[in-house]
Amino acid sequence: MQREDIQIISRHSNLTEETVAKTLKESVYNGKDAWQKFLRLFFMSLGVGFTVSGILFFFAYNWADLHKFTKIGLIQGVLIITTILTLLPQINKKIKNIILTGASVLVGIQFAVFGQIYQTGANAYDLFLAWTIFVTLWVLVSNFAPLWLLYLVLINTTFILYSQQVVKDWSEILICTLLFVINLTFLVSATLFVKKKTTTWFLNIVALTSISFATIGIVIGIIDKYQKHEESFSFPILISITSIAFVLGIWHGLKVQSGFYLSAIPFSLIIIISALLLKISSEEMMFLFVSLFIIAGVTLTIKNLIDIQKKWANEK
Amino acid sequence: MKNKDDIKVLLDYFQNTNDKPLILDEDAIVSAYQKDNTDQSLAIKILSMFGGFLAILAFLGFLYLAKLYNSDIGLLLSGGILIACSIWINKQYNKIIMDTISVSAFILGFILIAIGGHIEENGNILSIIFIIIALGSLSIVQNYILCFVSVLIINQSILMLIISNSVNDVVHIYVAILALAMAYIFLKEAKIITTNKALSKLYNPVKTGLVFSFLSGLFILSGKEGNFPVSPEYMWLSSIVIIPVIVYLTSTLFSVLNITEKRHKICVYIFTALALSPTALSPAISGAILIILLSFMINYKTGFVLGITSFIYFVSQYYYDLNLTLLTKSILLFSTGVLFIALYLITYKKLTENEKV
Repeated sequence: MQREDIQIISRHSNLTEETVAKTLKESVYNGKDAWQKFLRLFFMSLGVGFTVSGILFFFAYNWADLHKFTKIGLIQGVLIITTILTLLPQINKKIKNIILTGASVLVGIQFAVFGQIYQTGANAYDLFLAWTIFVTLWVLVSNFAPLWLLYLVLINTTFILYSQQVVKDWSEILICTLLFVINLTFLVSATLFVKKKTTTWFLNIVALTSISFATIGIVIGIIDKYQKHEESFSFPILISITSIAFVLGIWHGLKVQSGFYLSAIPFSLIIIISALLLKISSEEMMFLFVSLFIIAGVTLTIKNLIDIQKKWANEK
Repeated sequence: MKNKDDIKVLLDYFQNTNDKPLILDEDAIVSAYQKDNTDQSLAIKILSMFGGFLAILAFLGFLYLAKLYNSDIGLLLSGGILIACSIWINKQYNKIIMDTISVSAFILGFILIAIGGHIEENGNILSIIFIIIALGSLSIVQNYILCFVSVLIINQSILMLIISNSVNDVVHIYVAILALAMAYIFLKEAKIITTNKALSKLYNPVKTGLVFSFLSGLFILSGKEGNFPVSPEYMWLSSIVIIPVIVYLTSTLFSVLNITEKRHKICVYIFTALALSPTALSPAISGAILIILLSFMINYKTGFVLGITSFIYFVSQYYYDLNLTLLTKSILLFSTGVLFIALYLITYKKLTENEKV
């Protein structure tokens, strides 16, 4: 029983406040077990979060009196202790994962300290690359969604820094294309190998990131008209990969009955078509038309989604 | 969406649990389920909002290029017509597929009135008009998105009233009132949805709207809103409401968690008060905690995610702005972290002991 059921039924009946309160408490609100679990995770996350940021601030203070060996030694010491903690059998799995996530952040701090000592700058792409490489094993072992998210952020950051610091002449379209491909590869493999239902939120974030990069790249391509030589190469590639990915995305959304894919992809298409329309003409009437087009497009998408959801409900 | 058998099971459940004989309108219930305005997924709501937003941007581009914003009366009139139309569309065809168009027309109406009425000069009168229109629409239609937007418009208008009268510090009291209103709505769910049909339909959107409004108030109090400076000496004003509400929440948790011993209860009270006292001068943090606890209590996921995100943001900002050396900050953060890990270990031990008994 869900909140909506109680609301609908109470609207059309004489259910008393007491019954509704009791039903809400029993079937909707969180009970003892959920609260215990939540409080434990909450305290542990706060504990690890605050401790790790304490350590971060400590090294950011850049104590001049501290010898570089002491600095790196200190942080490695902390790192070793935390990693050993995750090997203790008494600690439950979720808590171990939270500790490991904290340890992964510590690895980053270690490289930042390294960068601080050897003056490489804190945002050098190789530091992020090293950070990414050295937590890979933990990410794979723990298979913990928040840690995967950190990993993905690291990969994206490394790539963006690389494109800014090393190859300076890549076009925005090429960068968007590669970011799209990276996230898409990630999404496809995660969808194929992960069967747990609890990680839907994570997959949706990855999908949203991929769709956003594709949309941004295509919109830039449409508006800039890809004049540069290399853009005339990467833009068609971006469009073809995006088309295939969108078709597969819709198919996947229909198959696993996910409303997310069936709304995010059409929305991206609406944005792309609007950009195309505004490229054709930027007269006032076109703006009026685009605004009507967006409303019509979104309305159609929603109508479709509702019809499909109805079908799913009847199939059950 | 449910089919007829599912509905039957639900109705049977209530036949057996209601304390007086259940009178219900089964046809109305079945048709309510079949109507497409139930069970809107979050995706649809977000789609309507973003779609509406983009459409409004394009329309404003049209107005600008066509130079149609020169006539004040024209703008005021069309704004009024748009709002009336959107309410009428909703009243007439209460379907989700009309949401995008009605929410676009609704918000656009307010924007046109704001431009036509020269909001920079007539802030007071326009804010009051906006509040009246939004309240009016809440009483006429109970469509989810329109109600949600109305609550946000009311909140924004109140903030505008505060700014245009240069009484910025009233915002402390306003946030305190919002905290109370939010806690009331969260805790009195059963009472509100059984009072009458309109209130029952208003419940969800108003709840979400209040959470967003409360967050916007907290954001102002955190001092990051450049146009809205508030003086720090009244910071405690909202805290003296938020912190007691959190303590009250912990007291309602005792029955959920089966904590009966007086000694334990006193420990929990003391700990909560102690843990929250450093946040007395930064109500944004305790406010975010309030949202997290309330949302988790009634299993309200959107609020929970909003609460966690804003909590992380406000805490990071608090330490970032803190006027201490990094070393002192480091020690503060580190000891807080250790305190929470200790707390985890204590509660873990206590809870597992209880389970064994």
